[in-house]
Amino acid sequence: MTAAAFLAPEIGVEQSESVLGRTNPLLKLGIALAWLIGLGLTLDVRPPLILTFVALVAGLQLGGIPPGTLARRLAPLILAAVAVALTNLLFSTHNPDPAATELARIGPLRITAEALTAAAGLGARVASIVSVGAVFALTTDPTRIMDALVQQARVSPRFGYGLLAAYQAVPRLADDLATLRGARRLRGLRDLDPRLLVGLLVRAIRHADQLSIAMDARGFGAGPRSVYRPISWSRRDAVVGATALVILVAALLASRGGAA
Amino acid sequence: MLLVVGPSGSGKSTLARAVAGLVPWQFPGEWQGSLRVGDVEVAGDDGGGDSSAPISTSSLGAGIVLQDPGSQLVMERVGDDVAFGLENLGWARAAMRPRVGEALAGVGLAGFDGRRSARLSGGEQQRVAIAGVLAPGPGVLVLDEPTAQLDPPGAEAVFRILRSIREREGATIVLVEHRAALAWPLADVVLALDDEGRPIDVGLPPDVLRRSGPKLAKAGIWLPDDATGTADAPAPRRRRGTPSAGPPSKRVVASDPVLDVRELRFGFTPSVPVLRSIDLAIEPGERVAVVGRNGSGKTTLLRLALGLLEPVGGTVRLGGHDPRRLSAVQLARLAGSVTQDPELGFLGESVQEEIEIGLEPGQVAAAHKLAEQLRLPLANFADRSPYRLSGGEQRRLSLVTALTRRPALLALDEPTYGQDRRGHEALVAALDELVGEGSAILAATHDERFVRDATGRRVELADGWIATDEPVERRSAAS
Repeated sequence: MTAAAFLAPEIGVEQSESVLGRTNPLLKLGIALAWLIGLGLTLDVRPPLILTFVALVAGLQLGGIPPGTLARRLAPLILAAVAVALTNLLFSTHNPDPAATELARIGPLRITAEALTAAAGLGARVASIVSVGAVFALTTDPTRIMDALVQQARVSPRFGYGLLAAYQAVPRLADDLATLRGARRLRGLRDLDPRLLVGLLVRAIRHADQLSIAMDARGFGAGPRSVYRPISWSRRDAVVGATALVILVAALLASRGGAA
Repeated sequence: MLLVVGPSGSGKSTLARAVAGLVPWQFPGEWQGSLRVGDVEVAGDDGGGDSSAPISTSSLGAGIVLQDPGSQLVMERVGDDVAFGLENLGWARAAMRPRVGEALAGVGLAGFDGRRSARLSGGEQQRVAIAGVLAPGPGVLVLDEPTAQLDPPGAEAVFRILRSIREREGATIVLVEHRAALAWPLADVVLALDDEGRPIDVGLPPDVLRRSGPKLAKAGIWLPDDATGTADAPAPRRRRGTPSAGPPSKRVVASDPVLDVRELRFGFTPSVPVLRSIDLAIEPGERVAVVGRNGSGKTTLLRLALGLLEPVGGTVRLGGHDPRRLSAVQLARLAGSVTQDPELGFLGESVQEEIEIGLEPGQVAAAHKLAEQLRLPLANFADRSPYRLSGGEQRRLSLVTALTRRPALLALDEPTYGQDRRGHEALVAALDELVGEGSAILAATHDERFVRDATGRRVELADGWIATDEPVERRSAAS
């Protein structure tokens, strides 16, 4: 209940029943990847900004994500994007270049227009990556991704469901770490110490061990499996996929047009 | 139904795992003799080495429910988890849906399909585990201390389920369990093991009790007719007019409390308060039990008292200081703790190292004596890894390390989990001694027997408030 609540946010009924929530998880994964690859084709600031905007609006309108939840999840990530942009703006290799256009001078630092363009492009790209990622994560049940990967992408169930089970143990390890640190403090030792890793490792192995025993004891991997929650393609998937492609192409065209 | 009883470390779990086909296949070791489950030979005289196909629990038509409710649920949602075993056996989808519903209804959790397992109480999780194991209709159901980590209502619910399974389904049940008062009445046959894992007696429960009752008690096995059935006997009523004082406590007149908690509020997220407004003062020499359901905030209160969590509101004073501002060395002088999962407190690689870490040379001899007293004689245990001890032994080791320092406040989280009768008695005696020297005890527990034997005040938490705070009629320490 403790760290679990922070690390693995719950996806409410509203999100899982929304248009995006009911879209095939593999398709959503594919769209996210296609957008990211598409962004690699340009250094311009416009396409990532357009995609960020589309992703956020889609998440709110089609994904049923409460604005507060989205804002809380994104705040630290957007901050990271801004930090990336600032660092690149201040320490860009363009700045010392005498040929570059000078915009401003802060003490010894010279800021150039070229640096500004590059920094804005980078920051916007980080922003778009985290926005697409957050909307994907907040509309997709991890179990359903794995169901889809196993059923449709032929991922081995042993690997897939094993990974899923391990993923669910991560919040538990965070709690374990807090307890370990407390125990050290109460024995009069510094609470941060490399030896903590030993204890944590023992725990991780033990969790994994118990889980694999529990899974094997229930016949996992004994023979051909059947499927309790079938995942299939629908017309909705076709519409969502086509729209996403059109938006990507439009965003990329916006950059060409602007640059020309 | 076969009930297996024995002192801690007697091999009960090993036997249960063998019946479920996990020993020797998942836990290799030396094996002699033979074991058949149904028509299948789990392993022959030589450990089954010549058998080509390894045995698995499901190939035996068996199912096993383990102690820790959290680590045996595989899927995130309850329905998915119950279906997991059916999927593995290749059940048709049309047959799975009704079977999942049936299995959940069978453990009193109808309609829980879509719930998240991580959000359920320990008792509910354990019932989901039972439903998942029962769904494929195993011929043998093995349960290894399924209620060890549950609060009394949770444990009673599990036993109600076991009773109805026993009456309804044809399955053979093999149960390893410390809670004698709940388990013995359900058993058809009782098998009692001694320290070395040899059978003391096997037979109908009344016969075993009559023939070997005293022998069992001597071996440290809890019996159903103990006036003090584990955690499930109703709490004794206080006699009117005799507010019991703790035993030889050094109750100095108007001494300063060692722990002073005022208007303490805490929640991991603002919307879910765990503790709402807690006022609690503990004097030197006082022993306080904190009771309440799973998830009522007992552990959280302990961690706040030790300064391991930051309160949302209110104050905590430990020996007059804010425990969060003390250095680790100062804190360690004031407080000691035994966590619910002792493994998370171990720092050494051997039992001896674990006991001696951070001690002054002059304290070592006393620490060894304490280990002896808590049934961990270094002659046998010195070189063993703390991680390879039984659950009861780990807890006692953790107690040794906390008690040696003679802390002003000793915080215990479920100190009696997995303790047999002798472990329990050793624990009570060691605490008596500590309190005799002026230390105070704050113990979170589900075990009403421990409350009666070892504490003088019972504080019950419910909904984030202190529901009751009353003295405990203490049994004489000798009994």
